[in-house]
Amino acid sequence: MANSQRRITKELAEVTSDPPAGVTVSLANESNVHEWNIMMDGPPGTPYAGGKFKLLLVLPTDYPFKAPTLNFKTKIWHPNVTFDEKGSMCLGMLKGDVWKPSSKIMSILTAAQQLLVEPNPDDAVEASIAQKFKEDKAGFIKEAQEYTKKYAN
Amino acid sequence: MVAPRMDSSLPAQPNLRLTIIAADGLYKRDVFRFPDPFAVATLNGEQTKTTTVIKRTLNPYWNESFDMRASEESILAVQIFDQKKFKKKDQGFLGVINVRIGDVVDFSSGQDQMLTRDLKKSTDNLVVHGKLIINLSTNLDAPPRGNLAPGNNAAAGRPSMGTSAGSSTSGFPGAPSPAHTPGPPGPSGAPMPNGGMPSGPTPGHAPAAGSAGPSAGGSQANGGPGRQNGTFSSFEDAQGRLPAGWERREDNLGRTYYVDHNTRSTSWNRPSATGGGETQRNNERVANTQVERQRHQERTLPEDRTGASSPSREPLPAATNGGNTANAATMMATGATTAGTGELPPLWEQRHTPEGRPYFVDHNTRTTTWVDPRRQQYIRMYGGQNANNTIQQQPVSQLGPLPSGWEMRLTNTARVYFVDHNTKTTTWDDPRLPSSLDQNVPQYKRDFRRKLIYFRSQPALRILSGQCHVKIRRSHIFEDSYAEIMRQSATDLKKRLMIKFDGEDGLDYGGLSREFFFLLSHEMFNPFYCLFEYSAHDNYTLQINPHSGINPEHLNYFKFIGRVVGLAIFHRRFLDAFFIGALYKMMLNKAVSLSDMEGVDADFHRSLQWMLDNPIEGVLDQTFSTEDERFGQTQVEDLKPGGRDIEVTDENKKEYVDLMVKWRIQKRIDEQFQAFITGFHELIPAELVNVFDERELELLIGGIAEIDVDDWKKHTDYRGYTESDEVIKFFWQTIRSWDGEQKSRLLQFATGTSRIPVNGFKDLQGSDGPRRFTIEKQGEVNNLPKSHTCFNRLDLPAYKSLDQLQTKLTMAVEETMGFGQE
Repeated sequence: MANSQRRITKELAEVTSDPPAGVTVSLANESNVHEWNIMMDGPPGTPYAGGKFKLLLVLPTDYPFKAPTLNFKTKIWHPNVTFDEKGSMCLGMLKGDVWKPSSKIMSILTAAQQLLVEPNPDDAVEASIAQKFKEDKAGFIKEAQEYTKKYAN
Repeated sequence: MVAPRMDSSLPAQPNLRLTIIAADGLYKRDVFRFPDPFAVATLNGEQTKTTTVIKRTLNPYWNESFDMRASEESILAVQIFDQKKFKKKDQGFLGVINVRIGDVVDFSSGQDQMLTRDLKKSTDNLVVHGKLIINLSTNLDAPPRGNLAPGNNAAAGRPSMGTSAGSSTSGFPGAPSPAHTPGPPGPSGAPMPNGGMPSGPTPGHAPAAGSAGPSAGGSQANGGPGRQNGTFSSFEDAQGRLPAGWERREDNLGRTYYVDHNTRSTSWNRPSATGGGETQRNNERVANTQVERQRHQERTLPEDRTGASSPSREPLPAATNGGNTANAATMMATGATTAGTGELPPLWEQRHTPEGRPYFVDHNTRTTTWVDPRRQQYIRMYGGQNANNTIQQQPVSQLGPLPSGWEMRLTNTARVYFVDHNTKTTTWDDPRLPSSLDQNVPQYKRDFRRKLIYFRSQPALRILSGQCHVKIRRSHIFEDSYAEIMRQSATDLKKRLMIKFDGEDGLDYGGLSREFFFLLSHEMFNPFYCLFEYSAHDNYTLQINPHSGINPEHLNYFKFIGRVVGLAIFHRRFLDAFFIGALYKMMLNKAVSLSDMEGVDADFHRSLQWMLDNPIEGVLDQTFSTEDERFGQTQVEDLKPGGRDIEVTDENKKEYVDLMVKWRIQKRIDEQFQAFITGFHELIPAELVNVFDERELELLIGGIAEIDVDDWKKHTDYRGYTESDEVIKFFWQTIRSWDGEQKSRLLQFATGTSRIPVNGFKDLQGSDGPRRFTIEKQGEVNNLPKSHTCFNRLDLPAYKSLDQLQTKLTMAVEETMGFGQE
């Protein structure tokens, strides 16, 4: 079996047998281990609670030498995720110069979940959302909740 | 077989606008002729529309719209034919796409849908290549796209195409009917759902993207975070639609670039759609080219210059034989041709040229020389200008005769110099010596100058008698040059090169061939042709495109390009092209190393380095194999025999990294490189070019640029220093005192290439976008400066004196081997 597939299959087994709370993982297409569908529950105690978010994890051919990409397929109103069809997220450990081949998908998923709990407005991709988060927390929570209801049900 | 169906449920009025925009990377069935492609669209085998014929191209751009009547069940077939051949049954066939309208168009939404599809074979199995780009719109109120394109006013429903057309409803003579083409698209060409990614990683789709650029098939999967352009078609982005004829693509590293099908050029900058944008772009392009041309013409090599150590600056005896007035004190001014006394050595003979000038034939070695063998042992050489005037008795005769066309002479201070009558130049350096005796010239300079003189003096690099005529059209420089240069033998190409541009007067006394190599290098290395692509290091150094095989003729082209590189060196012209360091190393048959990987793929390099620095057992799960993604298909490649079953451990990981680097840099492009180097060696023998190192080879091919130190300084950043610090002043003072070659060497040291961006240092690129030249305070004063070519950064210790800085900087630039400095 090819290299990246070996490692990915192993990680897939790990994540499916012991997924982080509120996360389920499946292959987007049974014959291709490089694309994973992630269903993530909005963490309780956050404005995303109650929402179900779909994400797509793409593992490059060069995995683990190159970092995977993770995108929100469900629209989410969050300072660190682009509020468009792409749902690109800015996750530190996935940046090219930070990525280490030893990083695991499990920790990527945990980090993504953690980002929902604790947005990082200083490294935002949506400046206006970040501003709201910093200056009007209550308004931020309300608006994020509304978008969660609207898109993530 | 799908029978044409008669669909009575079609609307009475047209409800679907088909725009046939462009095809890309069509199959080149004839070696020396491009097809004249046109497209035939047929809906349900009934309504037939034809585009105009575009002459001689593999990348036709039509942008013509046709209004048709369709239902969801309608099947649209678009076939591409070569007009020159399409009357012969199936011969002109260049591919077909089939689309079920209901799969791609939602009649209720009024949206338009951009489709990029691979061209498919017909039933006769003729090879086809490339992709077709069409747009389907249900909004017929909008002006047809064809009308938007400047210079292409093809109106919707254009019915005729030159001689043969005539009918807009029936089939064409010889054109296969839709029934002839494969049925509705199978899974591999699966229609994209609305909003799907036209350049997505569906296997059947990847070759199309690959034809565009460099491994776009893999790039989707490899693209870094946030690099994917989501649901936008390749003709639009977040800023809206691109101007007509422009397409957005991603290269091998997921970087976005723009293809202008109107001019067949590529650009990193997004074209603006504002009014006058076209003219403005053209003007900018013309201006840039002019700057580049100017730079190109100013490039030199040290042998061409009259530098400080060149004898031509000193009062010299006239190069024409003026010195027969015997001057006892200084020996004979033209000592070399003055008769010696006594018998000639055995098997030597004295002869005279038709002009009466004596020369000597050595029948031992079957060589000739101007130097009288009886005189040679009396020729004295200085150890150097400042070497206490010690005069060495140099047993010159032991070196053998001078190369043909060379002459040894003496200045009136009895210093030996050499005249190369082939090039009408003079030098202090004896072309036979492996290293210079001039001790007071910096080592690197001496070496490159020396090597050049030696290199040029070799018989294999002599221009042969006769002329080599190359006639090309400016508008077809790639195509014409290919035909001209491949039809001639290598021997013919070594004759005096006479370039002629079609329709232009002018004899080639150098200017035309300079222009020729300038224009040709801009064409043949243009990533548009998928032969070369830009490296990870920046957006101008070039590497061989591993996916060039999308062009079935690619190996012939690589051989051609190798010949052109050799031809330029042979005829002392420069190419306006700069390669990654690893490619120069490969040309010199040197092994590539991990540090070379940095210029190819910095992220990958980082991971391999991490692997060497950290325990990997139980962490990485790698075997001695790798995956290669070609045109959407992933294949496992063993790095060594049976590699896929051999675990990588901490014990053997070094070997793994070495093999991986070799595979990534060399093996993947081995075929292409072999073709390239074969062409190159036809003009430049391997053993001669091997005297240079990789950085010298870059200068040999590209020449040494005039570097504007003011511009350089203006766009330099400092970390830990300020511009007013003493050591920074020393630095710039030193740079200003250096000649072009030394400056180029420093640039190579710090940035990996001697190439300067068209718009100067402000556009300097690093591996992650624009990166200005940076001097960082780093290191002990006893150490040498270091560089990080990835970031265009120089780590400069705070040296205490100008002298110390000069010594250390010179040494660092000189002594460092290879490009990767990390």
